[in-house]
Amino acid sequence: MKRYGDHRIPGRLFVVEGIDGSGKSTQLMLLHQWLKAEGYGVVFSEWNSSPLVKDTTKRGKKKQLLTPATFSLIHATDFADRTERNIIPLLKAGAVVLCDRYIYTAFARDASRGMDAEWIRELYAFAVRPTVAFYFRVPLEVAMKRISDARVGFKFYEAGMDLGLSDDPDESFRLFQGRILEEYDKMIPEFGLTVIDATLPIETQQQEMRLMVLAKLTQAKQLRVAP
Amino acid sequence: MKESYGVRLPGLELDDLVGKLIVLEGTDGVGRSTQIRLLKEWLEQQGHAVLDTGLTRSGLVGKGIKRAKEGHTLGRITLTLFYATDFADRLENEIVPALRAGFVVLTDRYIYSLMARSMVRGLDSVWVRNIHRFAPKPDAVFYLRISVDELIPRAVFTRGFDYWESGMDLYSAEDMYDSFRKYQAALLQQFDQLAEEFSFDVIDARPEPRVIFEQLKAGIDRILTPPVGRAALAIPSGAPETGEEVAVEAAIEERRKRA
Repeated sequence: MKRYGDHRIPGRLFVVEGIDGSGKSTQLMLLHQWLKAEGYGVVFSEWNSSPLVKDTTKRGKKKQLLTPATFSLIHATDFADRTERNIIPLLKAGAVVLCDRYIYTAFARDASRGMDAEWIRELYAFAVRPTVAFYFRVPLEVAMKRISDARVGFKFYEAGMDLGLSDDPDESFRLFQGRILEEYDKMIPEFGLTVIDATLPIETQQQEMRLMVLAKLTQAKQLRVAP
Repeated sequence: MKESYGVRLPGLELDDLVGKLIVLEGTDGVGRSTQIRLLKEWLEQQGHAVLDTGLTRSGLVGKGIKRAKEGHTLGRITLTLFYATDFADRLENEIVPALRAGFVVLTDRYIYSLMARSMVRGLDSVWVRNIHRFAPKPDAVFYLRISVDELIPRAVFTRGFDYWESGMDLYSAEDMYDSFRKYQAALLQQFDQLAEEFSFDVIDARPEPRVIFEQLKAGIDRILTPPVGRAALAIPSGAPETGEEVAVEAAIEERRKRA
C-alpha cells in the first residue's frame, strides 16, 4: 500500500475544497471546460459517487442511522473505492483528474463531529497527494447568503443536525459550518493548501487557478520528455 | 470498565460498561461457531444474559458487504474500510449497549481477524492497526489454533472451499486447493503474530469439541463474577430445615456483598 505523498504516477490531480457556498464547484467546472478545450485527457471525479458504497451511504443518511464514527468510516470506504477503482488507474494512465472535495473535507467534517484528528488523517493515508489542492476561502456570512439565495433548507447531516447544536436547521448549519471553517484554516499550513480568495470576481479566481494548473501541466510534459 | 486501543469515539462512553467481552478468534473452519453455541447455552444455564455476535451482521452495511462480495469487486483498501464501518456500527448499536446492560458478549471473531485479513493482502500494518484503535479491549481473547494440514480435511469434507476463504482474490491464477493452502498459511502467520502482540489465550483446536469446550469454560470462569446460580446458593450445612428460606436469602445477601 502506497501512502500519501509516495505515489509516483504520471497523471495530475487537482482538487477543490471549501465550505458550501464558496463557489468551488463552479470554479472546477470552468477549469474542466478549459482543460477539455485545450485537449487534455481530463476526468471529473465526484465526492461520494462510488456505485458500490453509495446505496449504503444513502440509506444511512435517509434513515439517520449514522453516528460520527460510521459517518466517517462509510465516507472513507466510498473514497477508497473511488481511489482504487478510479483515481489511481486514471493517474497511472496519465490523465488529469479533477475532484470536487477531497480528504480535507473529511478531515474538517469529522473533526467537527468530534472524531480524533490524528486517527482520521491516518485513516486516509492511502490517498494520493494532489498536485494542487485549492482552498476557496470565504467568510461564513457570504457563503450563507449565497446558499440561502440559491435554495431552500439544508439537509440533515449537511447542517450537522446530528450533533444537536441547535434545533433550528439554519442556526445549526451556521454553527457547524463555522467549526468546519476553523478546521480548514488549521489545514492550510499543515497540507500546503493553495488559498483562493473566494470573494473575488469569478473570472479573477478562474484566471489564478488556470495559471497555477498550467504551470503543473507544462512541468508534466517536460518530465515526460526527459529520459 | 473498559478502554479502547487508544481512540475514543464521540458519544461512546466505555468506562461504565459492566458486562464482559469475550472473543473467539481463529481461522476459517476451526470450529468457532460450535463453541459459541455451546458456550452460550452454558452461560445462560449459569444465569448470565448472553449476546452472541459476529462479523458482517450490522444493520447498516451487512447487506452491502454481502452483495459486494458476491460480485468479487472490492479493492483491498475498500474491503478493509467496509468491514471497519460494519464493525463500528455493530459496536455502537449492539456490543456496547449489551455491555452497558451487563451482558456477556460472545463474539465470533473481532478486530484481529479483520486486521489479519487485511495484512495478508499486503496492506500497511500501521494503517490497519490504526483503523481498529477505537475497539474496546476484550476481557479475554481465545484463539483456536490449528495448522493448515489439519484444517484442509475439515474444509474438503464439510463445505468445500469458499472463494474468499481461499484468498482467490489474491492468488487467482491458482486452483482453489493451492490457493486455500497458501492463504490460510499466511493468515495463520498473522494470527500467531497478533496472538503474541495482544496476549491471546491460545487453545489447541485439534481435539474433540467437548475437550475444547472444557478449556474455554475454565478460561471464562476465571474472568466472570460467579452468578447467583443453584450451586452458588448452596445451603450452609447444619442449617435447620425450617430455616431454608432464611438461609437462601442469607446466601444471596452474602453474594451481593462479595460482588
